[in-house]
Amino acid sequence: MLGFLLARQAGLDDPLRLRRAESTRRVLGLELNKDRDVERIHGSGINTLDIEPIEARYMLSGGSDGVIVLYDLENSSRQPYYTCKAVCSVGRNHPDVHKYSVETVQWYPHDTGMFTSSSFDKTLKVWDTNTLQTADVFSFEETVYSHHMSPVATKHCLVAVGTRGPKVQLCDLKSGSCSHILQGHRQEILAVSWSPRCEYVLATASADSRVKLWDVRRASGCLITVDQHNGKKSQAVESANTAHNGKVNGLCFTSDGLHLLTVGTDNRMRLWNSSNGENTLVNYGKVCNDSRKGLKFTVSYGCSAEFVFVPYGSTIAVYTIYSGEQITMLKGHYKSVDCCVFRSNFQELYSGSRDCNILAWVPSLSEPVPDDDETTTKSQLNPAFEDAWSSSDEEG
Amino acid sequence: MSRKRQRLVPDAFGLKRRRERGQAEADPLRGESGKRGGPGTRRGAACGGRTAPPAPLPVSVTWSLRPGSARAAVAELVQLFPRSLFEDALPPIALRSQVYSLVPDRTAADRQLKALQEQGEIRIIQLGFDLDAHGIIFTEDYRTRVLKACDGRPYAGAVQKFLASVLPACGDLSFQQDQMTQTFGFRDPEITQLVNAGVLTVRDAGSWWLAVPGAGRFIKYFVKGRQAVLGMVRKAKYRELLLSELLGRRAPAAVRLGLTYHVHDLIGAQLVDCVSTTSGTLLRLPET
Repeated sequence: MLGFLLARQAGLDDPLRLRRAESTRRVLGLELNKDRDVERIHGSGINTLDIEPIEARYMLSGGSDGVIVLYDLENSSRQPYYTCKAVCSVGRNHPDVHKYSVETVQWYPHDTGMFTSSSFDKTLKVWDTNTLQTADVFSFEETVYSHHMSPVATKHCLVAVGTRGPKVQLCDLKSGSCSHILQGHRQEILAVSWSPRCEYVLATASADSRVKLWDVRRASGCLITVDQHNGKKSQAVESANTAHNGKVNGLCFTSDGLHLLTVGTDNRMRLWNSSNGENTLVNYGKVCNDSRKGLKFTVSYGCSAEFVFVPYGSTIAVYTIYSGEQITMLKGHYKSVDCCVFRSNFQELYSGSRDCNILAWVPSLSEPVPDDDETTTKSQLNPAFEDAWSSSDEEG
Repeated sequence: MSRKRQRLVPDAFGLKRRRERGQAEADPLRGESGKRGGPGTRRGAACGGRTAPPAPLPVSVTWSLRPGSARAAVAELVQLFPRSLFEDALPPIALRSQVYSLVPDRTAADRQLKALQEQGEIRIIQLGFDLDAHGIIFTEDYRTRVLKACDGRPYAGAVQKFLASVLPACGDLSFQQDQMTQTFGFRDPEITQLVNAGVLTVRDAGSWWLAVPGAGRFIKYFVKGRQAVLGMVRKAKYRELLLSELLGRRAPAAVRLGLTYHVHDLIGAQLVDCVSTTSGTLLRLPET
C-alpha cells in the first residue's frame, strides 16, 4: 500500500492504479459485519434491490407483498455501529400500492426524484419520490416479470418491459404509452437489460432459452440471437440458436458494456461478447439456479479484476468474470437469495432474500490494535511489586 | 496472538488470505490424485490379496507431464479406462468432467481441449445421456478401433472414406447435411451406411453427431455406475464420505468401469462437493 502511494506520488503509476488495487482488496475481503445492519421492514421475501446511480446513497427494495421501501445507506453518525434506516415506504395501506408481488424496482437513472416499479399485478408504476404518489401507471395484459430503463439514454425515455407474453414492450415515459413492441421470443421474457454502452441496444432473456440483442431503432427484428455453441454445432436455421439448455433467468452487462453475463436454469453462467454475440467459453462451473422467475445478479465496478456476485441457493457466489475462478461463497442468509446490488463507491454488497432480510456485506476492516489497552493495564503494576503467589485483580 | 501480529503489517492486496483459501480449494482436486497413490499402495501392501485393490494412479505420470495441462490429464484418464471389459473393441474414452477434476481451472482446461481438438489430436464425442457430457478420445485410437470394427462388413468402404476425408478436415461434434453432400461428396446411401456402422448418430433431420461404434454398452455401464457411486455417498451417514474410504470399499456390481473413473467424473461434474479436511478429501452431496 505504501509502495502504491509512493509510486502515485512520484508519478510512476497511474492514479487509477492505487484506486483499483484498493477496491479489489476490499472486494476480496467482503464479509458480514456486526456493525452494519439494514432495518427490517419487509414482512415477506425481497425480490429486488436497486441503488441510485447518482450518489449511491439511497436504496430501493421491492418485496413479495407489494411493499416498496426506501433506505438511506449513508452512515452520518460517528459510530461504527450503524443501521441503514428506512426513509419511507409504500406499505400495504398506501392507496397506490401494488396488489401483488413487486418484481423489479429501478431508480430513474438521472436523479432520485422518480422511480419505477413493476409487479405481478400487470402494471408498471412510475412514482414521484418526494410525494410518494404514482405519477403514471402502465397496464399490460400479462404479469410483468422485469423492466429496465437505460442508464445512459439521453435521447429517449423508454422503459423495456418483459412480461409473461412473448413480446417485449417499450413504454415511453414522455408520452405515457407503449411505443414499441419487439417480437421474436416464443415464451415469457424473464429479464431485460439495456446496454450501458449504447443507448439503443437492449438485451432480453426468455424462458425459451434464448437471449436476443436488439437495436430498438431497427424495425426488422433482433440484431443477434446468441448461440452457446458459437455457430459451429448449431442447426442450419438461426432460429434454433439457444443461449442455455434451459430457461434464461438473469442478464447483466459488465460495467463497460462489452460483455454480457447470463444465467440459466441449466445451472450454468455464460459470458458473451456483446458486440457479436459470441460465447467466450469462460467456464464458471455449476451455478445452481432453481429460480422459476428472474434472478438478479450484479457485477463489481472499479476493481482491477471485475467480479460477479451471483445468488447461489442461500449463498452468494463470487467469481472473477474473465477467468471464471470462484473466489468465495458468502454465507449468511437463511433462505434463497433473490437479488443483490453492489455499491461501487464503498465496495459493499447488499443482498435480499426470501427470509425477509437485507444483508450488508462490508469489506473487513483491520481490527483496532488492542495492544494499547494491555500495555496501559500492565503499566499500572510495577513488576517489582508483583508477587507470584496471588492472582492480580485484572485477571481475577 | 498470531492473528494480531499479521494484521499489524497490512499488505496492499488482501490476496494473501484469499490465496490460501484458493489453494485449499485447488488442493483436493490436485492433491487427491496424488493421495490416491498413497492409500492404494498402502492397501496393496497391507491386505495382501483379500480384495483386488483398484490400480493406484501413477503419481509420477501426473507430475512429470506439466501437472496442469489437459493433455496430461487425458493421457492419465485413458489409462483408467477398462479396455478388457469391452474386449478392446472400444477406444479408451475419458470425459470432460474428469478433466475438470484434474485441471482445476475450467476455462483453461476448456481452451486446452479446444486447442487439442483443433490440432486433431483428440475427438470430442457427444454422449447421448446428457447435453453437457462430452467424451474425449484420442484420434488415433478412434481410427484404429473403428477400422477394426468395420472390417469385412459391407459398409467398410464408406467408413474408410469417412475416416480418410471427413475426420481430418472437420473437427466438430456434428455434421450437417449440406456439409456431407457438397463439401465431402457423400451420397445419401453412403450416409445411411455410416449410420448403420455406428459412426454417425442421427441428431435431427439433416444433422448427425459423431459417434463411436459400440459405445452403447459403455454409456449404459457409465450411467449405472455413476448412479451407483452417487448412491454410495448418499447412503453414508450425513451423506458424506472420505475419498480414501470410498475408494477402499468394494465396488458394487453396477460399477464396471472402476471407482476411480467415476469419482473423477463426479468431482468434475460438481455432483459432489470436495471438502478438504485434516483426514483427507471428503466428498459431500450438495444440499440443494
